[in-house]
Amino acid sequence: MAVADFVGACRRVNLAAQLAWHDVLARYRGSVLGPFWITISMGAMVLGIGVLYARLFKFPLDDFLPFVAVSIVLWGTISSVINEGCDTFVAAGGILRQTALPMFIFPMRLMIRALINMGHHLIIIVAVLIWDRQTTLPGALLSLAALLVVLINIAWVGTLAGIISARFRDVPQIVAAGMQFAMFMTPVFWKPEQVGARHVLLEVNPFYYMFDAVRGPLLDEPMNPKTWPLLATMAVLGWLLTFAVFTGTRRRIVHYL
Amino acid sequence: MASVTIKNLTMRFPVYGADNRSLKKHLARISVGGKIGKAAGQAPVVTALSNVNMKLKPGDRLALMGHNGSGKTTFLRTLAGAYEPDEGTIEVSGRVAALLDLSLGIDPSATGYDNIRLRGLIAGLTRREIDEKMEDIAAFTDLGGFLAMPLKTYSAGMQARLAFAVATSVDADVLLLDEWIAVGDTKFRKAAHERLLDLVERARILVLASHDVQLVRYYCNKVVRFDSGLVSKVRPIEDLDELMAMPVGAPA
Repeated sequence: MAVADFVGACRRVNLAAQLAWHDVLARYRGSVLGPFWITISMGAMVLGIGVLYARLFKFPLDDFLPFVAVSIVLWGTISSVINEGCDTFVAAGGILRQTALPMFIFPMRLMIRALINMGHHLIIIVAVLIWDRQTTLPGALLSLAALLVVLINIAWVGTLAGIISARFRDVPQIVAAGMQFAMFMTPVFWKPEQVGARHVLLEVNPFYYMFDAVRGPLLDEPMNPKTWPLLATMAVLGWLLTFAVFTGTRRRIVHYL
Repeated sequence: MASVTIKNLTMRFPVYGADNRSLKKHLARISVGGKIGKAAGQAPVVTALSNVNMKLKPGDRLALMGHNGSGKTTFLRTLAGAYEPDEGTIEVSGRVAALLDLSLGIDPSATGYDNIRLRGLIAGLTRREIDEKMEDIAAFTDLGGFLAMPLKTYSAGMQARLAFAVATSVDADVLLLDEWIAVGDTKFRKAAHERLLDLVERARILVLASHDVQLVRYYCNKVVRFDSGLVSKVRPIEDLDELMAMPVGAPA
C-alpha cells in the first residue's frame, strides 16, 4: 500500500511542485526582490562567516571561502528538510482530512521546496567557485551525484520525522535541538582535519559523510573511503525503514493530525 | 458512471488527545510497564460508524440527518477517501468533489485568484482546466475586484462563495456537501441553489449533510438517519418525518 501511495504521488508530482512553489512565493509575498532574498541572505552569511573564520583559523580566504560557501548551503538544505519535515503532515492536515490525495505528495512538496531554495543558493556557490578557479568539471559532476545521494537520504529522514512528529508532538522540538547540536558537531564552519582526519567525532556523525561526499570532489579534498558505502547503505536501509513505518501508520496519520 | 457501494463499513477512531501525544508520556509508560500503564496509556477508541450498508446510483440525492456527532461528517470524509475503513469496503466510482471544510488548502495571505488555483489543483483540476474555468468561477463568486485581494480581507460569506464556486466547478460525479448553506447571503444562496440544481439535474450523486429539514426536502430525494454511528436504511424523502420521529436506537 505504501508503494501504491508513492506511485500515486509520483503521478501527481505536478501538484507537489505547485504547492512547493506556492510555499516559496508565499514566504516572500509583498517583498520587492521576492525569492531572491534567499540568495541575498545566504550570500551575506557566507561572506561574513567566510571572512571571519578564515581570519580566526588563519586560513587563506581563497581556500576557506569556497569551503564555507558549499558547507553552509549544504547544511541549510539538510537542516531545513529535516526540521520542516516534522511539519509536513501536520501542516497538510486540512487537506488530508477531506481528500484522497496520496500522502507522499507532502514529502515531495517538502523536497521540491528545498530544491527551489537550494537553486537560489547555488548562484552563490557557482560565483565563489568561478572566482576560486579550482574546481574541475569531473569534480563538479561527482559532487552533484553525491548531492543526489544526500538528498535521497535526507528525504527519508524528513518523511520519517513527519510521520513521528504527527503522532508525538515533542519530536519537532527534539529534532530542532538535535539539528542545532549537529550543526556545531559537523564540519560546517570548521575543517575536518582540524580535529584530525579520522577522529571519532567525525566517524560517528552521519552528516560528516554527507559533507565529505559533496565537498570532497568539488574542492579537491581527499575523501574518506567509508563515505560512499555508508551513504548508500543509509539510503537503502533508511528508505526500507521509512516504508515499513509508513505502511504501518498510513491509515492512522490522518487521525493523528 | 457514478455509483457508491458501501458494504459493512465500520470506522473507529483512536482519539489522540493531548494526554497521549507527548513522547515523554509514551516513554514513561514503557518504563513503568504493567497493566495500569497500559490501560491508562491506550488511546480511547470511538466507533464513529458501525456496519453501514448503502448503495447509491446516478440521480440519487441523499440527505444525511442526525444529531451533532452522529457520524455524518465522518461518513462524508470516508466517502471523500480521506479516511480508510477499519472494516468493510467502500467503492466510489466517478470523480468526487467534496465541500466539507471552507478552509481547505486556503492561504489567507494569497489573493482570491491564487486561492481558486490552489483549491482547483487540490481538487484535481489541471492548470489549463483552471484557467478555462476561471472566468466562470470568478463570475459565480460575484466578488469582482476582491478576487485580486488577499483572502484575509474576506468575510466568512465571501470565503464560502469562493470555496463553493471551486468545489462545484469540478466536473464531479459525486458531490459531497456538509452544511455549506449556513453561510452566505440570500443572493448567494439563490445562486448556489441554481448551481446545485444544475449539478443534480445532470444525474449525478449528491450527498448532503444538514439539519435543515426544509433544505433537505428541497434538494434530496432520499434520506438516511444517523444515530451514534448507526445508520438507518436509505428511505425516500417522503418518509423524512416518520424517520426523524423514530426513537433513538431503533433506526430501521
